[in-house]
Amino acid sequence: MFERSEIPAFWYDGYSARRHEGLVEWSGGDTLLLRAHDGELMEVAIDDLIFVERGVMDGSYSRKADDGFRLSFTGTVPEDLAQRLPSGQKFGKWIDRLGLPKAAALFAGISAVLIAIVMTAPTWLGPRVPASWERKMGDAMIGDLGNRLCHTPQADAALAKLVDELDPERPVTRVGIANVDMINAVALPGGQVLIFDGLLQEAESADELAGVVAHEIGHVRERHVMQALLRQFGLSVLLGGINSDLGSSIFGIASMSYSREAEREADAFSRKQLAAADISPAGTAEFFEYLKDESGDSPEWVGWVASHPMPAEREEAFRNAVVKGKRYKPALTDAEFTALQEACEKDPDTEEFSFF
Amino acid sequence: MDAGLFRGRKNNMDEEQAESAFGFHGTWREFAPIAFTNLLLIIVTLGIYRFWAKARERRYLWSRTRFIDERLEWTGTGLELFLGGIVVLLAFVIPYIVMTQVSQAMIMRGQTAIGVALFVVPLLALFYLMGVARFRAIRYRLGRTNWRGIRGGSNDNGFRYGWSYMWKTTLGYLAFGLGVPWAMVSLWNERWRSMSFGPMDFTCSADFSPLMKRYLLFYFSPFLAILVAAAAMFAIALGFAVDFDGAGGFDPEEPPIGFVAAVVVALFLFYFVLGFIWLVYFAKFYRVVVGHMALGDLEFEFDARTKDWIKLGLGDVALVILTLGIGFVFLGYRHWKFFVTHMQAYGEVNVDDLTQSTTKRARHGEGLLDAFDMGAI
Repeated sequence: MFERSEIPAFWYDGYSARRHEGLVEWSGGDTLLLRAHDGELMEVAIDDLIFVERGVMDGSYSRKADDGFRLSFTGTVPEDLAQRLPSGQKFGKWIDRLGLPKAAALFAGISAVLIAIVMTAPTWLGPRVPASWERKMGDAMIGDLGNRLCHTPQADAALAKLVDELDPERPVTRVGIANVDMINAVALPGGQVLIFDGLLQEAESADELAGVVAHEIGHVRERHVMQALLRQFGLSVLLGGINSDLGSSIFGIASMSYSREAEREADAFSRKQLAAADISPAGTAEFFEYLKDESGDSPEWVGWVASHPMPAEREEAFRNAVVKGKRYKPALTDAEFTALQEACEKDPDTEEFSFF
Repeated sequence: MDAGLFRGRKNNMDEEQAESAFGFHGTWREFAPIAFTNLLLIIVTLGIYRFWAKARERRYLWSRTRFIDERLEWTGTGLELFLGGIVVLLAFVIPYIVMTQVSQAMIMRGQTAIGVALFVVPLLALFYLMGVARFRAIRYRLGRTNWRGIRGGSNDNGFRYGWSYMWKTTLGYLAFGLGVPWAMVSLWNERWRSMSFGPMDFTCSADFSPLMKRYLLFYFSPFLAILVAAAAMFAIALGFAVDFDGAGGFDPEEPPIGFVAAVVVALFLFYFVLGFIWLVYFAKFYRVVVGHMALGDLEFEFDARTKDWIKLGLGDVALVILTLGIGFVFLGYRHWKFFVTHMQAYGEVNVDDLTQSTTKRARHGEGLLDAFDMGAI
C-alpha cells in the first residue's frame, strides 16, 4: 500500500492573483491534490506539469494547459515524486539533450560546412547555369538600360567590330557605352558589359580599350558574374539570421566584386583573345601603368591582400605577353576610336546614368 | 504584507523609507553565464539562436524583478519568437526585397513612374508596419508577463494604431517638426489605453505641453551650434589669412590637417552634444508619460532625472569601449535594471479582483519589432 505524502507548498491558480498556501497531497497516482488552508481544492495531473525556472527559490511548476498556474514546493519533495516531476529546459530542448559544448561544436561544424558550400558551390554551379537563363535573369534585373547607353551609328559599328574581334563566338555578351564619368568598365548580370565614358576619354588608344573590354568579357565568359550572384545570394540567405536587414546586401549586386583569382582568369582570357585577334597587349599594359601612377605606389602586400591584383603585377603580365618582332594590327582605326569617344557627346537623347 | 491588499502612499514622509513597489535583484555575475553562452550559441548557429537567447535573457531579467511581493515571470518562448521572425520574413522581408528589385529593374528600363511607385509603396508599408510593430510588441510582452499567475494583453490587434502612427507622426513633422512632442505623447496615450493587465485597462492621459520647453531647447540647439561653429571657422580662417598672408592663405583644396581634425571633432561633438540634449528632453518625456499612467487604483511614476539617463548613456559607451565591444551583451541587462529601479507605483491592488486576462494572445512573438530593431517601451 502506497503511503500518502503531504508537502507544504504555495500556488497561484491562474484565475486570480490570490496566493494559495497549503499542502500538496500525493497518493502515488497520476494526480496531485492541492488543498489550501482556506479550504480551496484543486486537482492537477502530473503529466500536465512543466518545470519553470523562477529564479528565486529553485524552480516551480506550471501547467501545459495554463501558463498562469504556478506551484512552488516549500517543503521537501519525496524522492519517488521528485522522479515523476518534469525537469526544465536550460538552453533549449536539443541543446540540453546534447550538452552545451557538444551542441556548440555541432552547430559550429554545420555552420562552417554551410558557409564553405556557399563559398565554393558557385564556382562549379555558376558555369552550369545555362547562359540563356543568365541572360533572362539579367534582363529581369536590369533590362536594356533604356536611354542610358550612348549610341551613334558610327560608334555602334566601331564597338560591334571591336567586340567581334575580341570574342567572335559571342554567345551572351552585349557591350555598351554608359554615360558615366568614371574610369571603369563593369560586367553586369546577363552578359551585359558596360564601358564607362570616363574610361573612353582617358584611354590613349583603341588597344588600351581592347584589353579592358576583353577583361570584362572574360568575366562574362568565365561565368564570374553568375558565380558572384550565386555567392551573394547564398551568403545573404545564410547570414540573414545574424543581420535581418537582408535588403542592403542584395543591393550589393550592383557593386559586385570578384575574387583575385577571377580577376587573373579574366586577365588571362583578355590576353588570349588579344593574341587571337592580333591586337597588341602593350596598350593594356600602358593602361595599367597609368592606373598605377594614379593610385600611387602602394607596397606589394596591399596587392596580395586586396581583391584586385596590383596594377604593377597586371602591367607586367600584359607586358610579357607582347611577342617581340610580331606585327600587330591596331584594334580600331583612328576614326573608329574617335567615334567611340564621341558617342555620348553626339547621342542626341542619352540620359545621365544616375544609378551608380 | 497582507495577502489581499497592497497599499503605497505618495506624499507621506513616514513612508519615505518604505520599499519601492518595483525592485531588481539580479547581479551581473549571475547574468554573465547566460549572456556569454547566448553569444556563443548565436555565433555558432549563424544567428538563429538569437530568438532563444532573447527568451532566456528575459526569463532571467523578469525572474529577478519584484513587483510588491512577488517576482515577475516571463512565459514567452524562443520558438514563438522564431516563428514571429519567419512570419515577418515571408510576409514582409521577401516581398519587400522582390518589390525593390522589380522597382530597380523598372527604373533601369526607363519605366520611372512604375519604378518609383514600386519603391514608394513598400516604404509606406514599412512606415505603417513600424507603428503596428511597436503596438504589438507591447501587447506581446504584456501577454507573456505573469505576476502572481496573471498576465496582461490587449484586445486590439494594432492595425488601427498603425494608421494613427502614420498620420500623427507625419503631422508632427509637417509643422516644421514642432509637433513631434504632441505626436509622441498622443501615440503613447493611444497605445497604452488599449493595453490591460488582468481585468483592468491601463489609463494614460499625458499632456505634451510641459515638454515643449525642453523640446525647443533641442529644436534650436543645432542652429545655435551652427552659429557657434560658423563663428569659430570664420575666426580660424581669419587666423590663417593673417598668419600666412602672402603665402596664399587658406587653400580649401588642401586644408591643413589641424583644420580637418577640428572639423571632425566639431562634427563629433555636434552629434554627441545633440544626443545629450535629446536625452534632456527624453528624460522629461518619460517622466511625464509614465507619470500619467494608471492601472485600476495603481498609479505609476518614473523617477529617472536627466543626469540618470546621461549616466546610463555614458556607462553604456564606457562599457562597450572598455571591453572592446564584448560588453554589448550586458546592455539589455543594464537597460532593464535602469527601467525597473526607476519605476515606482502607488496605490492599491486587490489580488482577489485581479483575475486572469481574457485577451487573446498571438502564437508568434514580436517578429516585426525584431526585424525593425525597435524597443517596445
